[in-house]
Amino acid sequence: MRGSPLLRALLVFLAILALGWPLRRLTSASDAPREQPTAAVAVAKEIGLRLSFTLLPKSVKVLHLGQAVWIENAPTAEMQRALKLAYPAAGIDLQFQIEWPAGAPLAAMRATLTDPDGKAHEHSVWGQGSTEEVVTFP
Amino acid sequence: MKKPGLFLLALLAFAVRAGAEEKLRVSSFSTILTELAEQVGGDRVAVTGHVRAGIDPHEYEPKPGDLKVVGEAQVILLSAKHMEGYVGKLKESTGTKGVLVEVGDRFGSLKMTAEDDASKTVEDPHWWQSIANMEKAVEVVREAFSKAAPAEVPVFAANAAKYRARLEALKKWTRIELAKLPRDQRKLVTSHDAFQYFAEENGFEIYAIEGISSADQPSSKKVAGIIATIKKKGVKAIFPEKIENPKVLKEITRESGAQVGGELYADGLGEGEAATYEGMYRHNVSEIVKALK
Repeated sequence: MRGSPLLRALLVFLAILALGWPLRRLTSASDAPREQPTAAVAVAKEIGLRLSFTLLPKSVKVLHLGQAVWIENAPTAEMQRALKLAYPAAGIDLQFQIEWPAGAPLAAMRATLTDPDGKAHEHSVWGQGSTEEVVTFP
Repeated sequence: MKKPGLFLLALLAFAVRAGAEEKLRVSSFSTILTELAEQVGGDRVAVTGHVRAGIDPHEYEPKPGDLKVVGEAQVILLSAKHMEGYVGKLKESTGTKGVLVEVGDRFGSLKMTAEDDASKTVEDPHWWQSIANMEKAVEVVREAFSKAAPAEVPVFAANAAKYRARLEALKKWTRIELAKLPRDQRKLVTSHDAFQYFAEENGFEIYAIEGISSADQPSSKKVAGIIATIKKKGVKAIFPEKIENPKVLKEITRESGAQVGGELYADGLGEGEAATYEGMYRHNVSEIVKALK
């Protein structure tokens, strides 16, 4: 290893430079934010929803996460629908908007939700006139 | 003709003064209770709010002027659950004959880690973050006022009923707003462990992380732990109360990908839209939904 000291210094410098770039990448944090963390998103599964009424309402609207999933402008005393919704272990909130006939007495709606495992969960919503309520299943 | 006129004027002034004196004198040591007292008492009470909006009730200490007012108060409202560490001194130094109502002690408590000793738990004093607790507090205050001024019982009962109806409406609005968030995404990461009652009432999980608000530099191990928790739980946003350590906050958000949510009111009323309980609560719920949706 004899040769020019200048050449040797240059070789050492180049070696440091070559190592420096990957080292910098490994040790310095990027300013760009990482992707937003995502919770294990619950997969949409089929659930059954059956609604029955003590008094026929004028209309019924069911919302999930702020989005209408069932609008019924001519409801019957008992009606059923299959819905495809994410159903996490923590359960779901369904928002019911019911329009009862003006001047009608206090009325009730029975909501029966059949979860993806086939288990039924029931809740009642009471109201008069315009009724809006959030029901948590199970 | 002048003398009867003067006499009538004096009589009127006396009547006005007597009327003012007839008001139930109330001292309040919580911005929340000051509003509650005004709602329940209406024009039959004269409420002095010693803790003003924006003042940290954890840090507050009464001043000599406060003690004089408390000495003359007929009802003294305290948030309780150890929020007012000065309560003993307050009783001793004022010699008040007024009724001391420790509102928060009339209903159940959640536990939180003690600030000075992480191995110990203490009562969580932030009970007003639950609307159900607020409804209980309305009853506690109505009862206290009714005992202190029995002639005004119907007025207090009517005012309390009106305010409870407003709280019921707030509860309903809250449920509708929070229904926009999937139940498995209701995860609240805050720098001040003040939202346990809110979490319990609304189906949230709480992760209080120390080190963001504090001026002290948390260890890198601790920061790594916070980042790991946020990633593992899939938390979308964190809600630091005060950002005294922006470097740490920047590192946490950059590494975890979580966003910084809006300011939440933890310790009492604020200003502007948060100057009332309903306004404060709506603000907090709206900020949470906006950040986690």
